[in-house]
Amino acid sequence: MSGSTEVTSKAASAETPGRGRAPGRAATVRWRWIVAALLLAAACYAPFQLVPFHVFQLSMVLVYAVALLGLNLLVGHAGQISLGHGAFFAVGAYTAAILLQRVELPYPLTLPVAAAVAFVLGLALGLPAMRLRGLYLALVTLAIAIFLVPLLKRFEPLTGGSMGLTLAKPAPPAWTGLAEDQWLYFLALAVAVAAFLLAHSLLRSRVGRALHAIRDNEAAAEVMGVRLSFYKTLAFAWSAMFAGAAGCVYTWVIGFVSPDSFVVTLSITLLAGLVVGGLGSFSGPILGGLFVMFVPGIAQDVNDAAPGVIFGLLIIAVMYVAPTGLAGLAGRVTRSIQKILRKE
Amino acid sequence: MSAFLEVTDLRAGYGDARVLHGVGLAVPQGEICAILGPNGAGKTTLLRALSGMVRVRGGIRLDGTDLAGRPPDALARLGVAHVPEGRGTFVPLSVEENLRLGAFIRRSRAEINADLERIYTYFPVLRKRLKQAAGSLSGGEQQMLAIGRALMLRPRLLLLDEPSLGLAPLVTQELFRIVRAINEEERTTVVVVEQNAHIALGIAQQAHVLETGRIVLSGTAEQIRADEQVAQSYLGYRV
Ligand SMILES: Nc1ncnc2c1ncn2[C@@H]1O[C@H](COP(=O)(O)OP(=O)(O)OP(=O)(O)O)[C@@H](O)[C@H]1O
Ligand SMILES: [Mg+2]
Repeated sequence: MSGSTEVTSKAASAETPGRGRAPGRAATVRWRWIVAALLLAAACYAPFQLVPFHVFQLSMVLVYAVALLGLNLLVGHAGQISLGHGAFFAVGAYTAAILLQRVELPYPLTLPVAAAVAFVLGLALGLPAMRLRGLYLALVTLAIAIFLVPLLKRFEPLTGGSMGLTLAKPAPPAWTGLAEDQWLYFLALAVAVAAFLLAHSLLRSRVGRALHAIRDNEAAAEVMGVRLSFYKTLAFAWSAMFAGAAGCVYTWVIGFVSPDSFVVTLSITLLAGLVVGGLGSFSGPILGGLFVMFVPGIAQDVNDAAPGVIFGLLIIAVMYVAPTGLAGLAGRVTRSIQKILRKE
Repeated sequence: MSAFLEVTDLRAGYGDARVLHGVGLAVPQGEICAILGPNGAGKTTLLRALSGMVRVRGGIRLDGTDLAGRPPDALARLGVAHVPEGRGTFVPLSVEENLRLGAFIRRSRAEINADLERIYTYFPVLRKRLKQAAGSLSGGEQQMLAIGRALMLRPRLLLLDEPSLGLAPLVTQELFRIVRAINEEERTTVVVVEQNAHIALGIAQQAHVLETGRIVLSGTAEQIRADEQVAQSYLGYRV
């Protein structure tokens, strides 16, 4: 019965989507890991070559990259939006700060607790929020971010109110021979690598497949047995968990938390950073981390009076040149280099 | 003696707009039931009601289990697979990823792999396109992928919404021949909605003509085919 079904390929449209899996996919995957390994080697080498301030800046890039890994799960892979990611970042940062100061917990233990608190909060807020879509979801998540700052100011005995909390930074163990900034950097790097591997294995699991199905076609996913509310809420909670872990490392690196560090702009900058870096892509969170760390400062340098305007213009410029984000641009450049190399 | 799929006085719609006004059907196990009718009659809505995608009133029973009011993912678990109008493949994902997603509710890796092989024997072209993005397939290939993906659920009830849409006549014929083969080999009960009455009646045992949310004519495929008047007034052309 299985006569070959010859289908005229008139409809084999040329516009294979950017995220499409081309035949050369296995090769690209291998390349990715090679690039990742090289980057990691460079990342281990960098703090010995840079001045402490630059090491600190790189630590912050890693912190933001961890937060963006989480946001990428939700926005890039599950296709949902959040304008409140900064709130979970703040929750992680404050959880760590409170545990360090009020409970005097050893700092390595603050990481799992901060991640867990953010996860549970994400679950609790995601349960109602993820029944909404599009603009409604954007609005509700934005509200979470807006409510957080007054809330932090209010519980002064715990949070230190508007003054915030100042803490001792984790000290490097003597055997490492590292300076404080280097030690903090390696802590951030370790968390970033772990977060990266975790996100990667989550996405390769059954749940990752469910998220992609939801992103690409909600109705079709549902008729195949994917429970939308369950997986969306899970994605929201995970993204919160990564943000919480990132917030915790933020507290380690900066040694200070205050409500004004976590205003709504943080959430919006994070989302912008992810989109500019490249939604749903492998390198998007790292590129986005660089963006979140450096671009607001650059905007400030260009025009002190209206950094917001410059920041906005820069986003527009990047999206115009690279509509799929910097990761997409990097991919295009690599492919054309490969093509040139193959020709020779 | 009740049929495998039994639909009684089914009403459904979108918000305030009622689309189905009391539809009744009974499909014995292992049969193919064709739903015919003009555009806007509510054929797609009927399939959506059967797979839980729209809210319903009335009765839907599959092998004695009440399906009415359950969400789509629960119905998938009960063995209802829906190939929607316009296919609904996951465009950026590869053919293989699409097929594996079809088996989302199943756990056994060995069984899933065996089923993949089975689907390649029905649709050999899919094997050649495994790593290709679903969006880069031709219309016919996408329809095959959509049906293959639905089969990965090991459905007890397969709902097909206008599988011939946009396909060349030869491809359509091939596709219906395969649907028939699947129905015979797997004993899967099928409800197929079609504009192409001729080809649908060719594989179905029974058929119903739906018009503005009501069944206006039911019978065996032969009876409907023989009915000149049906051909004129409901199907718009000679069958
Ligand atoms: N999502 C929707 N929201 C509101 N009304 C809808 C929706 N989908 C369909 N309808 C309405 O329901 C009625 C029946 O539509 P349905 O899609 O079930 O018809 P159909 O028989 O499948 O038609 P066709 O042959 O054109 O596919 C139409 O009047 C249509 O306007
Ligand atoms: Mg229809």
